[in-house]
Amino acid sequence: MQSKLKLLTGGAAAVAAALFLTAQASAGGMFREATIGEPPPLDVMLTTADVASTIGEHIFETLYAFDASFVPQPMLAESDRLEDGGKTIIITLRQGVMFHNGKEMTAEDVVASMKRWGEFGSRGKLLMENATSVEATGKYEVTLKLSAPNGAWKTLIADVNGGLGIYPAEIASKAGSEPIAQEDYIGTGPYKFKEWRPNRYVELERFDGYKSRSEPASSYAGARIANFDTVRFIPVPDVGTRVSGVQAGDYDYAEMISGDLYDTLSQDPSVVIQRREAPLFGLFFMNSKDGILKDNFKLRRAIQMALDKSQALRVAFGPEDLWKAQGSVFPEGNFFYSTAGTEAYSQHDPEAAKALAKEAGYDGTPIRLLVSTNYQAHYDEATVFTQQLAEAGINVQMIVVDWATLLKMRGQPEQWDIFVTHHGFQPDPALFTFMNASYPGWWNSPEINALREELSVSVTPEARKAVWEKVQALFYGQVPAMKVGDAYAYDIASPKVKGFAKSADYRPRFWGLSFE
Amino acid sequence: MWSFVLKRAGATFVTLVAASVLIFAFIHLVPGDPIYVLLGDTATPEQVDLVRHKLGLDEPIVLQYLQWAGKALTGDLGQSIFFQAPVLSVIADGAETSLLLATITMVWVVLIGVPIGMVAAMRQGSWVDQTLSGIAMLMASVPTFWVGLYLILIFAAWLGWLPSSGYPSIFESGGLGNLRYLLLPSLTLAAPNAALILRLTRASMLDVSREDYVRTARAKGIRPRQVVRRHILRNALLAVVSAFGFTFAALISEAVVTETVFALPGIGRLVVQSILRRDYPVIQGIILVIVVLYLAINLIVDLSYRLLDPRVELE
Repeated sequence: MQSKLKLLTGGAAAVAAALFLTAQASAGGMFREATIGEPPPLDVMLTTADVASTIGEHIFETLYAFDASFVPQPMLAESDRLEDGGKTIIITLRQGVMFHNGKEMTAEDVVASMKRWGEFGSRGKLLMENATSVEATGKYEVTLKLSAPNGAWKTLIADVNGGLGIYPAEIASKAGSEPIAQEDYIGTGPYKFKEWRPNRYVELERFDGYKSRSEPASSYAGARIANFDTVRFIPVPDVGTRVSGVQAGDYDYAEMISGDLYDTLSQDPSVVIQRREAPLFGLFFMNSKDGILKDNFKLRRAIQMALDKSQALRVAFGPEDLWKAQGSVFPEGNFFYSTAGTEAYSQHDPEAAKALAKEAGYDGTPIRLLVSTNYQAHYDEATVFTQQLAEAGINVQMIVVDWATLLKMRGQPEQWDIFVTHHGFQPDPALFTFMNASYPGWWNSPEINALREELSVSVTPEARKAVWEKVQALFYGQVPAMKVGDAYAYDIASPKVKGFAKSADYRPRFWGLSFE
Repeated sequence: MWSFVLKRAGATFVTLVAASVLIFAFIHLVPGDPIYVLLGDTATPEQVDLVRHKLGLDEPIVLQYLQWAGKALTGDLGQSIFFQAPVLSVIADGAETSLLLATITMVWVVLIGVPIGMVAAMRQGSWVDQTLSGIAMLMASVPTFWVGLYLILIFAAWLGWLPSSGYPSIFESGGLGNLRYLLLPSLTLAAPNAALILRLTRASMLDVSREDYVRTARAKGIRPRQVVRRHILRNALLAVVSAFGFTFAALISEAVVTETVFALPGIGRLVVQSILRRDYPVIQGIILVIVVLYLAINLIVDLSYRLLDPRVELE
């Protein structure tokens, strides 16, 4: 009798435990994020579109990941060592990391991914151009050989944006230049791809086989704990609707809210503001290949001299919490922050600018400024600058097109003199677009090429910083592009979402969060 | 009647081919490049060329058209560059939202526009007429996005009675209850269109009421209500019904703003977004479907004339 009773109570306890576990497992619920639009395919190696990286980062992981101080920390890697004066990089991988298809990640997968990334990846050339071989030298060991040491190698593989996401070998090898198919969205991340309903949402679900790192989370590095059962990325193009949607409880998070709503939302108890602490900055690229600005550095300096960047930033971003008019390419507090050359950043001296332009031989020829309306900030900044330049007698003709047209036109050097874009935060000088001589603008002077060379062989952080200061001084001397200023994007979250850390994130991420 | 339908179908096909050539030519004439959008800001020209070649976008434009048209005839509208899914299924998913939204909107348009237009006509010149006409003007002139955002603010954010945005399919969990997602959008979209129908009904009834046969009917001593119902309304509705057809078809494309504001996965938003990204197969597919829809609706309107007015000959 007693044993029966025991059995019964034991059984009841087991059932209760099971119920409890199920309840716990489903307590995560669905996290709904309102994005600004539909992403392109989530092949993170190929695309640098932010929407794709934001979603893709939950699925695909990198060998290293940035911590809150932007130092790359091992993610899928366990450790590394350099040999042959830095020309040989040996990376040891973590063991027991599973792909979403149930296969263990090994060196073969990393090698195949690296090869594809080197050939087709958006930022792959930066590292792999000098690669002489990449091989699996053990089940969990990858050896990359370079023809010259690269001081930024870890940084270059620590972000998914056009970066080295690790795919299973068979997927990486069969995929060529084309984006991988949806059924091949298989990574090692804390969430796995579930479905993509065009025009409706992209849904991810928690990957129960995820092997998290044990270090505490610090920005993208360390432990990644997936608390939600599913995460849904819903395109909500209208910013007003994104805001009302969070207020009404239809979304838990909404990204990229406009500056004019900042003051109101700061007072609103139904939302919590998440300011992204790593700033973006507008860039006005000068054409170094064709047209009147081609190698007329004096005229470029005259243009920059006429501008008041604060005014443009105020018009484009609104409240002062959301921007900072400062000329260092890296933000204050960053290791690479430097004031070299920045006295030329925002002088707003139309008279001196006029004189300098005259000295540069400027005769009033219209300067063609290519700008798109898809990004309101670009257009606002361009409008303000056009007026300011008119005061200095510099005649700007705005060519206003949509973004897809701009991307095409800027590849044709005869079509424009200046084009407007923006740059996301980057943790290392090597990642800036203007450091790439083939990026439109084509900054290719002997001086910068020498510094590029010097930077790529500088291995220690201190040495890199010293070179970077020279680059920044040249950036203000030759003006390949003008920095508008730092702009802090912000998102809003529902107050019931917990776990946000005031951190250096430059893209929203949803591991480590939970509902209260 | 059947020979009429056949003839019209033939003409429709010719229109369709002409439209498809125009669509294809125009879309490819617009500058811009889907591959840059796909790969992002930092893509190199070599990378772009590789992907373009893979997708067959570097072939001569005539060849691209013939390949597309040939497949379209068999019902295959190709593959979306961005969604990595067949265009037909992308459109079908959007069509559910758009058709339901347009249908519910039409219900509002008819329920609001026709009766109020009648009342206004019957009380022509009175304060009732003037108030109703004033409201109609207001409804027609306030921008849709403004109405939409305020409806969201009041009914979703403040009162919490209705969802703010989005629309899960009625075939998913929630079933027909999901139609509540379309309540605010349909009212937003109905406002200017109901105003149009209201004014049309009113004008058309006033026109008809001045006809000789109406005076005769009144002189015969038929009760005023009968005169309105049998003689005025029936004749006045002829003009209104043809406007229904156009309104319904126009709703599909007019819905762009409403779909954007309410984040609805409809055709309107899909086409705008696809144009911005130069997702050629999707744009071509949607415009083709809209053209077919317009032609079909016109055909239905023509046929319904006959049902309303037996004197109309279909030839």
